[in-house]
Amino acid sequence: MLRGLAWATVQRHRALWARAFGSWAGVPAHVVDLRSDTVTKPGPAMRRAMAEAVVGDDDYGEDPTVRELQEKAAELLGVEQTLFVPTNTMANLISVMCHCRRRGSQLLLGQECHLHVYEQGGVAQIAGVHSHPLPDLPHGTLDLAELERIITRGLGSPYYPVCELICLENTHSSSGGRVLPIDYLRQVRLLARSYGVRVHLDGARLLNASVALHVPPAHIMEHCDSVSLCFSKGLGAPVGALVGGPKDFIEEAWRLRKALGGGMRQAGVLAAAALVGLADAEEVLLRDHQNAQRFAKGAWIMAPRPHFPLVPGECLGGPQQQGPNPQQCASFDSRRVKVSRGATSGGIQGTRTLDQAAPGAVWDQSALNGHQ
Amino acid sequence: MLRGLAWATVQRHRALWARAFGSWAGVPAHVVDLRSDTVTKPGPAMRRAMAEAVVGDDDYGEDPTVRELQEKAAELLGVEQTLFVPTNTMANLISVMCHCRRRGSQLLLGQECHLHVYEQGGVAQIAGVHSHPLPDLPHGTLDLAELERIITRGLGSPYYPVCELICLENTHSSSGGRVLPIDYLRQVRLLARSYGVRVHLDGARLLNASVALHVPPAHIMEHCDSVSLCFSKGLGAPVGALVGGPKDFIEEAWRLRKALGGGMRQAGVLAAAALVGLADAEEVLLRDHQNAQRFAKGLQELASPICSVDLATVETNIVMVRVNGLPPEELCRHLEAVSADEVAQTGRAVRVLLFPWTERSVRAMWHRDVSAQDTELALRKWGFVLRQLGP
Repeated sequence: MLRGLAWATVQRHRALWARAFGSWAGVPAHVVDLRSDTVTKPGPAMRRAMAEAVVGDDDYGEDPTVRELQEKAAELLGVEQTLFVPTNTMANLISVMCHCRRRGSQLLLGQECHLHVYEQGGVAQIAGVHSHPLPDLPHGTLDLAELERIITRGLGSPYYPVCELICLENTHSSSGGRVLPIDYLRQVRLLARSYGVRVHLDGARLLNASVALHVPPAHIMEHCDSVSLCFSKGLGAPVGALVGGPKDFIEEAWRLRKALGGGMRQAGVLAAAALVGLADAEEVLLRDHQNAQRFAKGAWIMAPRPHFPLVPGECLGGPQQQGPNPQQCASFDSRRVKVSRGATSGGIQGTRTLDQAAPGAVWDQSALNGHQ
Repeated sequence: MLRGLAWATVQRHRALWARAFGSWAGVPAHVVDLRSDTVTKPGPAMRRAMAEAVVGDDDYGEDPTVRELQEKAAELLGVEQTLFVPTNTMANLISVMCHCRRRGSQLLLGQECHLHVYEQGGVAQIAGVHSHPLPDLPHGTLDLAELERIITRGLGSPYYPVCELICLENTHSSSGGRVLPIDYLRQVRLLARSYGVRVHLDGARLLNASVALHVPPAHIMEHCDSVSLCFSKGLGAPVGALVGGPKDFIEEAWRLRKALGGGMRQAGVLAAAALVGLADAEEVLLRDHQNAQRFAKGLQELASPICSVDLATVETNIVMVRVNGLPPEELCRHLEAVSADEVAQTGRAVRVLLFPWTERSVRAMWHRDVSAQDTELALRKWGFVLRQLGP
C-alpha cells in the first residue's frame, strides 16, 4: 500500500513537473502557442537589425531609424505623418485625446472592441472622454442607423454630450479577426463627415485586413481620419506601434505622447525591428491566414457541429463544442495546444510560430485562460 | 561674376553640409555632445545583450529578462517591487497617480523640478492632480517650514485641496545636478509621515546621487515611499525606466502602466540593455563626475570675465556655467561652430554641443559617451572661443 501511495505521489509530481516543463515521462513536448499574436519573439534578422541600428535621441528628433520607420509607414498607410509609440494602447489613447478636445466629448465604438474592454477605460480615466458603446454586429461593424441616431439626437442641443469620434477596429478581434468591408468604411466616413464627426481606425491588425482584402493599407485608410498600427503582433517586432494622421494631428500627438510617458530616447533599436517586420509582413500574414484556415477546416471536419467562420487569422469554437470529444482524441497526436478563451467561446489566433497543429491535436482544456 | 556667384553657392552648400556633417573645409570636426546624458548610445556590449536577450510576452509576465531586471533593481533600491516602463516621465506619472487617488488631491513639489516643468503638466491633464509648486532652494531642496505650512493649513478643513504627496528630485537637475542631503530626506519623511503624506522620489539620476554620496541607493530610498529611476540617461540604455515601491503600489502601477500605454510585449530586449547599464553604473558615473569636475576647474582657471562656475555646486555630472556679456544662445553657437582659425590655434576642430539654460547660463552634462580626452578637447575649445570673444 505504501508503495502504491508513493508511486501515486511520484506520478502526481511528475505530472506537475511535466506540465510545467512541457514534457511527459521524459518525452519533450512541442508547444504550439495560439494564445495571441503578441507572443511573437524577434528572430535572427530582427535581432541583427536591432543590434546594428543607427540611433540618436528621438526626443530631439535625432533618431534616423525611427524617422525612416515613420516615413515608410506614412507612405504605406497613405497618411501625412506617423508617430512611433510603445504600444497600440497608447496609439489609440493618443488618437482619442487628439480628436476629442472639448469637455463633454463623446466617443462611439463597439462594446466588445479592444479599446473599450482591454485598455483600462483609459479614454475616461485619463482623457475624460465619455464612451457610448454600441452592439458589435457579426462582421465587427456598428449599425449605421444607430450611429446616426446617437449623433443626431444631440445636435444643436446642450443637453447631450458632443459626439466627436467614431472608433472602428479592423481587423475586429472579438468577433474573430473579421475584416470590415471597405464599402462599410466608406459609408461610415460619409455619415461622420456630414456631422463633423471624425473616424479613428484601431488598426492593430490593419495589415491582416489589408492582406485579406488584397488591397494596400492606404486604400482602407482613405476612409479614416487617423489610425493606430501595431508592430508587436503579427508583424513580429518585440515592442512598438504607431499613430498615423494629418500633420497637425501628429504635432499634437507628440505632446500627448510625451505627457503619457511614451517619449523614448534611442528608440531606433525598436524601430529597426519594426522595419524588418514590415518588410515581409505581406508574405508572413498571408501564411498565417492560410494556416488558420487549414486548421479551421481540419477542426470543422472533426467536430460534429462546429461554429467555425473561416476568417483570416482566427477561428472560434463554441463552448458547447470544444472541438472533439477528448476520448475520441486518445488515439491522436499528443501535441498540446494552448488555447485562449474569449468572452464566450474558445479562440485560436494564428501566429508566426504556428506549426501546423494536426487536426488530431488534443485540446488541452485546462490551459484555457482569459488573455487577449 | 557668374563664377563668383557659383563659388558663393558652392560655399554656402558646403557650409550647410559641413554644419550637418560636422566638418569644415574638409577638416573632420570632433563632436563633444554635452547637451544631456539622454544622448548616450548603446555600445557593443549593450547591443550584444539586446540581440541575445531571452524574451517573452511581458504583458503575460513571461519575459524573463524584464523579470530579472525588476528583481535586481528592487534589491538595489531596497523596495519591495519594481515595474519596467518606457520612460521616467511615465514612471513619475504612474507614481503620482498611485499615491494621489482622491478627487482634490494635491501634490507639493519644486517649481523648477522636471516633473513640474518638462512633463507636459501630465499630473493635471492626465491625472487630475492639483500641483502646488514651491521655490527650489539652491541645493534642490524645498523649505521644510513652508511644506509644513501648506500641509497643515488644510488639515481638517474642507476648503482646501488634500495634500497627499511630496515629490523630491534627486539629483536635482535644474539646480545643476545637486544631491539632496540624506538628512534632509529624513526630515521630509518625518514631516510627511506625521501628516499622512507620502514622498515620491524622482530618481531619474538617483544613481548619480548614490555615487556622489558614496552610499547604496537603498540608503537614500529608506526615506521615500516610491521612486522612479531612468536607464536611458547616465546608465546609457537606449530606452527604459522603472517605478519602485511596495507590492500593492506596484500592483496598481501595473494597471496604470497599461492604461497609459506602457505595457510593452517582448520588452526584454530593452531590459537587457538596462541590465548592462546597471552593471557598470558605479564606475561609469564616478568617471562622469570626475570629468565634470575637471572641466569646471579648468574653466575657472581660464579666469574669463565671460564665463564662471561655482565649483561648490558641481556635485555630479552637471556643470552650470554663468554667462556674462552675451546671450547664452550666442555662446552655444560659437562653441558649436568650427573654423580654420580654430584648427590653426588648437590643432583640432571641435564642436561642443550644449543647451542654453537661463537668460544667463548654459548647461553642460557629462555622460559615458564623453571621455576624459573629450573633456580636455571641450575645455580647449572653450578657451579658444573665450579668447575670440574676450576683451
